[in-house]
Amino acid sequence: MSDPYEPSNPVRNPSGDEPVLRPHVFDGIQEYDQKLPNWWLMTFYFAILWFVLYWTLYYQAGFFSSDHDRVTGQLQAIQQTKNKELEAMLATLDDKLLWTWSKDESVKAEGLAIYTRVCSACHAADLSAKLGGAPLPGLPLHDAEWKYGNHPMDVFRIVSKGSPDKAAPVQMPPWESVLSPSDIAKVSAYVMSFHQPSAP
Amino acid sequence: MLPATKKPNLVSVTTINSDGSRFFPHPSDVKGRFTIARRLAGVLLIAIYVLLPWIPINGHPAVLLDVTHGRFHLFGFTFLVQDVWLLFFLISGVGFGLFYITSLLGRIWCGWACPYTVFLDHVFRRIERWIEGDAPARRQLDAAPWGPVKFAKRGLKHFLFLTCALGIAHVGLSYFIPLPQLYAWMRESPANHLTVFTGVMVYAGLLYFCFAWFREQFCIVLCPYGRLQSALIDDDSMVIGYDYGRGEPRGKVTESGHGDCIDCRRCVQVCPTSIDIRNGLQMECIGCAACIDACDDIMDKVKRPRGLIRYDSHKGLSGQKRTIIRPRIILYTALMLLGATVLTWGLTQVHGFEMSLVRLRGMPYLADPGHIRNQFTLRLLSKDDEPTTFTVSTENAPPGLTLSGLHDTLTVPASGELQQTLMLSLERPQYAGPFKFIIKATPSGGGQPLTREVEFLGPDL
Repeated sequence: MSDPYEPSNPVRNPSGDEPVLRPHVFDGIQEYDQKLPNWWLMTFYFAILWFVLYWTLYYQAGFFSSDHDRVTGQLQAIQQTKNKELEAMLATLDDKLLWTWSKDESVKAEGLAIYTRVCSACHAADLSAKLGGAPLPGLPLHDAEWKYGNHPMDVFRIVSKGSPDKAAPVQMPPWESVLSPSDIAKVSAYVMSFHQPSAP
Repeated sequence: MLPATKKPNLVSVTTINSDGSRFFPHPSDVKGRFTIARRLAGVLLIAIYVLLPWIPINGHPAVLLDVTHGRFHLFGFTFLVQDVWLLFFLISGVGFGLFYITSLLGRIWCGWACPYTVFLDHVFRRIERWIEGDAPARRQLDAAPWGPVKFAKRGLKHFLFLTCALGIAHVGLSYFIPLPQLYAWMRESPANHLTVFTGVMVYAGLLYFCFAWFREQFCIVLCPYGRLQSALIDDDSMVIGYDYGRGEPRGKVTESGHGDCIDCRRCVQVCPTSIDIRNGLQMECIGCAACIDACDDIMDKVKRPRGLIRYDSHKGLSGQKRTIIRPRIILYTALMLLGATVLTWGLTQVHGFEMSLVRLRGMPYLADPGHIRNQFTLRLLSKDDEPTTFTVSTENAPPGLTLSGLHDTLTVPASGELQQTLMLSLERPQYAGPFKFIIKATPSGGGQPLTREVEFLGPDL
């Protein structure tokens, strides 16, 4: 068997273009004096330049924001948009408008879709808060008994912020993080469509 | 003055001069069976690359990685971002597949199938050959002073290089952006889609740089697969090699007492990385087989048998017994099959619909004097192009468990999702500790029902 550390066909073809062998020897190992390819050297210079520019622009001059700042900024922008939307909604929204909406068929249809998806689990499809005779956790919404206020805007606030009674063992969760202000207004209008302004 | 031609050796890279500058090799023309076969393979691979986004399968292009919408269409399958765990098995399977191929057949991938080689050898070098002529003509043009002819030739060459680079980059982009949309974007101002435009220009610029200037330096210095070769190849792997015993000592055809090699240096002239294959296997060799065709041609002319340079293992080249089945082949086969098996199993787990159930935040259960209740948010997600209707029911549930919040079927919009609040109630006397049950959503079209096991929780008894 041939020497395993040599290629099977150990042909050496020394020519004039071979690099210089350095004179020092360690454990029988010698090294050639070979130049790094120039393009490779350039990548090192480029890396140094990149570091200087990056450090200056990013950390010193503050030309670019960090990822953390960008994400926080975007989250704040989203929250601001939401707040503005709510403010705009609250500015125009009052009991009178919600009563008008509660007679509007297209608003009622949209309100029904949201009610079925989100509210009916606790308040039942017919607002009775009963399923097959057994009570569900929600309060009934079709009768004349109002625990936390009988105005449409009371309903709007309860849907947004949840039950005002924070000590109750079973309480309604706030929905403002799930539903948009206009969705909450629509679903409130849907609930009020079962009532009359004069005798709520 | 640096030499126009160099004599390759084993201790330095021919394409890097002793002062660190580049030596640009000009490989001679070569004809033969491997050259023809490689060209056919290259043309076929380029055709596949260009055509894949044009072939619709199940209503989507064969390959469309829609990053914007998080939908990845691959040969009729649709994947979402949450299916990304499959990539692990795809990559490990492909990785070990490449290990397997390499230990068996050497750098067959580099010479025949690598996109870098395919575009360089079958597009860019062909353009260069067509405009600047054969190897001596190209060397002459390199040395010539700048004049109208050199300027025109170089200008035309680089114009065509840039055109091809832009073409390849845009085909690449069509793997991510549907073709009609891409075509519409291409006719608009770049300012409208600045990120994508910059991306594709950088990609095209890199391709141009690589194929016009960087060339074999990538294979020799940068490519990680190339660097793994020494660990993957053994003396039984098939490589391109020179039959030392038959060829040496080299000598003139007319004289007797020599080996078969006539030292015509054709194998060196045709080599795209400028090595001398007669020095044995070297890291620069990309397995393009040009030297085999060149040597076979010469052997035919001097009426000696072909195969002085051939595809063979080191053992085969040195006249020893060839072995194919070795421990590493068995190991790589097993690992490759493991990856492929898990990937196949994983693909059966990817459905057109997904369901998830999340318990109401902050309130594991609701208890009032009469009832115990658990509230969940049901999320249904559809990859289908049509709206789908689902019927939701419970399974393995004790009698008395009622599900409210569902009065009808649920309709999930096409390629969309739906959230629904579910309330599960149980009368107090029937509650005897937490239990597990199944919530099932059955698509109306008769597809596979989606099931999720959930736990019903309540107060300590």
